[in-house]
Amino acid sequence: MKHLKSMNKKARMIDAAVSPAEVEEVVAMQTVVGCTATVDPGWEIDPFGGLGSLCQPMEADLYGCADACWWPAQVPDTMSSYPDWGQGVDKADQDWRKLDGIFEDND
Amino acid sequence: MNVRRLIGTAGLAGAVSIAALTSGCATTPGASVAAAEEYLLTVTRPGQLHVIDVDTRAIVRSCDIPGKFGSGAMTVAPDGRVAYVLSNMWEDVYGFDVRNCEIVFSARQSAGDIKVKSFQSLAVSTDGKELYTVQNPVRHLPDRLEVLEPRLAVFNIADGLDAKAVRTFPVKRRITKIAATATGEVILGGADVEAVDPRTGATRVVTALANWERGPLWLPPDAFAMHSQGEHVNEYIMPYVTAKFDSEEWNFDTAEWWWGMSRVDLATGEAEQMEIFPFEFIVFNFITDPQDPNILYGSFNTLSKHDIAKKETLAVQDLDHTYYNLNISGDGRTIFVGGASSDISVHDAATLAKIGSIELPGDMSTSDLRIARIRN
Repeated sequence: MKHLKSMNKKARMIDAAVSPAEVEEVVAMQTVVGCTATVDPGWEIDPFGGLGSLCQPMEADLYGCADACWWPAQVPDTMSSYPDWGQGVDKADQDWRKLDGIFEDND
Repeated sequence: MNVRRLIGTAGLAGAVSIAALTSGCATTPGASVAAAEEYLLTVTRPGQLHVIDVDTRAIVRSCDIPGKFGSGAMTVAPDGRVAYVLSNMWEDVYGFDVRNCEIVFSARQSAGDIKVKSFQSLAVSTDGKELYTVQNPVRHLPDRLEVLEPRLAVFNIADGLDAKAVRTFPVKRRITKIAATATGEVILGGADVEAVDPRTGATRVVTALANWERGPLWLPPDAFAMHSQGEHVNEYIMPYVTAKFDSEEWNFDTAEWWWGMSRVDLATGEAEQMEIFPFEFIVFNFITDPQDPNILYGSFNTLSKHDIAKKETLAVQDLDHTYYNLNISGDGRTIFVGGASSDISVHDAATLAKIGSIELPGDMSTSDLRIARIRN
């Protein structure tokens, strides 16, 4: 981060929010269980900076992310908001094509 | 065996926060062998509890679980006859007689405008009389959600269907797996491993994690238990990842990275905490070998075997896909790797070689993989 320069108001706010004191406050949230507003690293890169320790294939992990509301930003939250999202698709690796997106208000 | 070579050198640069966490399992030597009937239990979408014969690896029966799927977390009564399953979007508990699928217990935790979720936390007292859950209630108001305080809920199993909590006690947030001790406490896996007395609500720290005091050279541990399944050896494992730095500069590139665990003896409620082998790949769940508490097995994208006294990885076997958890037969010879997708991978415990597969009708997702031993 020290090599990056904030270019707009939002970026400066983000910079301000990651002061050491603020970082200390969010340590307790590094364990993510249940619906949260956090975006937990894991779909893009693993702890080693590679891909080998991501879930493989993604379909094996799909319901594990949705049912636990682990990544509510990436997959629908079947724990509370969209419990029927996987209805009729009991094996994600075989029938993932039947899983639809979420369209609010019938958009 | 050079595990780093097997999985590729994966530099740890930038891995400031290890968000990939694990869960533990455990074992205890005495109670493991010679069961009259031994069954593997798991739950699949859309909502079935499967009872699988450990010897034949055939599904003996499948029990329909009321409600929508979620989460499949499960705890088994000490006599092995009843499996308590968390269902209906992580809210309701149903107890099934695994010999005939009869529902002998149920508890709906949500009521009125208060939704109650339990994050994998289910346990039965060692006398089989009480069921424990950690409840996370939220009041759904017309214009907002009001997050209420979490609590330990105590149910009398003898109350049968539609049981209500007979006692509740406040507990901390972030609690996932719980377990009952022979001393009458309930182990709570959260930021630290704590224990609560379900008669009085008194709590104590069993082993500190987020609040451990190891000095400035140790990274606070990243600990998490999603599928602790140590009943076969009467243990509860909370795995963690930490780093030991060579100076207070906290250079992540030169730090020693370790897997560790807090392992609670459920006979005494006391724990040991130790680093167990270098952190070179992800393990989501551990179990102890029922014949040798020095040997651990772990699963995720690999099945691995570890000598924790020597802090070495003894063997690594690639898996066909990600599996969240694993369990082991009472004789310690066969490992079952499950969770996530719709098949259980069967392995020889000595070599880790794959020796079979159990196909299931749906994805296991977050479900537990338990072993029930029924002694006649």
